[in-house]
Amino acid sequence: MHRPMLEYSHTIGIVAMEGRGFEYPTDTVPARNGRMYVPNRSRDFGERGVRVTVLDLDSEYYGTFGYLGDGEGQLASPTCAAESREGLIYVADDFTHRISAFDYDGGFAHRWGAHGSGEGELNGPSGLAFDEHDDVYVADTHNSRIQKFTSAGDFLFTFGSPGISEGQFRMPWGLTVAPDGDIYVADWGNDRIQRFSPEGEFVTAYGTTGRSDGQLRRPSGVAVDERGYMYVSDWGNERVQVLDSGGLPVQVLRGEATLSRWASDFMATNREEAAARATANLKPDLPDVYGGDPHTESAHVESLFWAPVSIKLDDAGRVYVTEANRHRIQIYRRASSFA
Amino acid sequence: MAQSDIKLIAHLMRRAGFGATRGELDAYAAKGYEATVEDLLNPPDTEWLGDDMVRRFDLEASGMINAPGSSRNWVYRMITTNAPLLDKMALFWHGIFATGVPKVINGRVLYDQINTFRRHGMESFDSILVRLAQDPAMIVWLDNQENHSHAINENWARELLELFSMGVGNYTEDDIKECARAFTGWTIGNTEYMMVRSQRDSDWPYGRIAYHFDYRPEDHDEGEKTFLGHRGNFNGEDIIDIICQQESTARFISRHLYHYFVADEPAVPAWPYTPPRDPEAIETLAQAYFESGYDIRTVLRVLFNSDFFKSEDVRYKKVKGPAEYLVGVLRMTGEFDMPRREMIPRYRQTSWMGQELSNPPSVEGWHEGVEWIDTGTLIERINFASEQFGDTDKPGVREMIDSICGDGFDGLSAEQLVDRCLDELGAFTVDDETRDVLIRYIAADHSRENVENLLRLSASTREFQLA
Repeated sequence: MHRPMLEYSHTIGIVAMEGRGFEYPTDTVPARNGRMYVPNRSRDFGERGVRVTVLDLDSEYYGTFGYLGDGEGQLASPTCAAESREGLIYVADDFTHRISAFDYDGGFAHRWGAHGSGEGELNGPSGLAFDEHDDVYVADTHNSRIQKFTSAGDFLFTFGSPGISEGQFRMPWGLTVAPDGDIYVADWGNDRIQRFSPEGEFVTAYGTTGRSDGQLRRPSGVAVDERGYMYVSDWGNERVQVLDSGGLPVQVLRGEATLSRWASDFMATNREEAAARATANLKPDLPDVYGGDPHTESAHVESLFWAPVSIKLDDAGRVYVTEANRHRIQIYRRASSFA
Repeated sequence: MAQSDIKLIAHLMRRAGFGATRGELDAYAAKGYEATVEDLLNPPDTEWLGDDMVRRFDLEASGMINAPGSSRNWVYRMITTNAPLLDKMALFWHGIFATGVPKVINGRVLYDQINTFRRHGMESFDSILVRLAQDPAMIVWLDNQENHSHAINENWARELLELFSMGVGNYTEDDIKECARAFTGWTIGNTEYMMVRSQRDSDWPYGRIAYHFDYRPEDHDEGEKTFLGHRGNFNGEDIIDIICQQESTARFISRHLYHYFVADEPAVPAWPYTPPRDPEAIETLAQAYFESGYDIRTVLRVLFNSDFFKSEDVRYKKVKGPAEYLVGVLRMTGEFDMPRREMIPRYRQTSWMGQELSNPPSVEGWHEGVEWIDTGTLIERINFASEQFGDTDKPGVREMIDSICGDGFDGLSAEQLVDRCLDELGAFTVDDETRDVLIRYIAADHSRENVENLLRLSASTREFQLA
């Protein structure tokens, strides 16, 4: 049978506190207008650097919007974003507990959300996904539940509660609406992906705690293709896993970032640094003292995934892995292989 | 449980930890003093808020482009850990092996060093020194990447002997040179690229890359060396082995431990000319050092179980360092059940109090004891404690006030109310003069609102600055 096989394509990004580049990006939206929208949380909770960066796959830069603040069109701590059917970019904020919508050019459209634990209230939203009716599921992280709203913010229903049983959550993060309409949630604190019907009924769960292939540690995001294959940003293991529709591992990736166009521009104008880099072994054998801890390995080896906080698919077979700690997006292509 | 037992455990927890709430003290006291010492030395539970929580919700405390992210990560751990001695020891070694951001730049590298201190800080001293010599932050801090077989750099060797093990007056200039030769080839990987990035403070293109230790045999001086009367083709480990055999090392490290855990000594530069405050105690610790094969955990066990440590004469005789002061307050107020942006103004307070973590004033670290206190830093300390304990939205504060204003509140005398308040602050003791002031204050207005002020006032006392 044909199985998906991810092949590395290229890397986009460079660390930058303002303007072109990212600082602690939290998500990527490959929008239907051909542009990508990348919310940045910034360091130190946003004295500088909070913004949504707009670019495309060729690293063309179109500007930023959504700067630090609490006013309309402003953001304090953006955690994720999604595009509605209508063509608006929605950004969740876990400090203001609001969802803000922008047009493709960054113009403010509307916002909703209030802090709390009652129906329709939010506490630290960190995942957004629209369904075919343009209603939106929100990972209501600190309430450990998923809530569904209309795109205007009218509450529809909620499911889940804090806990470890089927259908319960511990600080859920990324979520997606699969092509068949089911909802897949990265149940971060429970080291699993949970699957629900569109109405929020528990279907099944995938993954157990661990580092072996097919196991998960604190997953941050999940995307599902038309054949039910799951693409999981296995955040705590600093890797991406492809799982089949039964949850069995198909492929495990640790990352293979290369210089982005913006990074190459930097090297071209900083030749001393580029020359020193050219002589360096950027994939060194690390001393045993680090004990094989993937987070530590990723801190030392630049090409590896480091804090993969989101994984998204587009309609053209691309996979986007957003790495907060490396301020970049690694892009892969979905190819097929015979198993 | 006798109040004297609670007071003794409170003393232990102020010194071997960051203080304890009244509830925690009851649990420790039920276990017994010696068993509590053992739990501190070999913690059965090392739970804390957790790396996952910090990394998810405070991104710079994960990516650590700069040192403050690294320090915040550490503060989160110190204020929530169930194994406080591990971090108290990390703080101890950070004060002696003081390494800082002006040269190291890279927050993650500093974080790795603190992790090493936490994980291995109670091992044998020779093991600790070898880990230190291979620590990338220390290598860069003291320029050992510039120490080559054909051209030595003595910086690391000099400080190893002077500040980290033996103290001045116990070795010669030739010993320093020979020591430096033995550590040639001990460097970090990708030295040139990492140093160019460091000099340019570059986090491009993708954030910092952490350093790792790299031994380069081709750059190691294989010739014979003479060090402290020993002769041989020594490498770094051999030098550390010789260092650890020295009486001066045993006394130096014992005096440091006494200074940090028992009672303030003069600043380190005065040690060659000023005898220890308690020479017999130093002798006891030095003896434990040799009998255990330089094992720091064993030396600490002897220290915490000694009469000189338990003595009432040394209680409230040590000035809390800014980091331990701040951590102690934040542990009691219970503000951080998860990372929050409020941590930024909180952890920065240590700088205003005179101690910015990972930024010591020099390789000598901070001068501790009464030197922590001046008119500026004292005001910062008092304002900080008063502000934190004055916020009744903080769960720890609310709990303390509920407890003080609980059973029989209306019938309590002013004296009883003050005693209850001091007890809630961790079996806290003040002298009679301070106690009288507190009694007069609450006697004027026996209300819950005034109890909130009494708590703030108690945390603003002279005694609250002391451990």
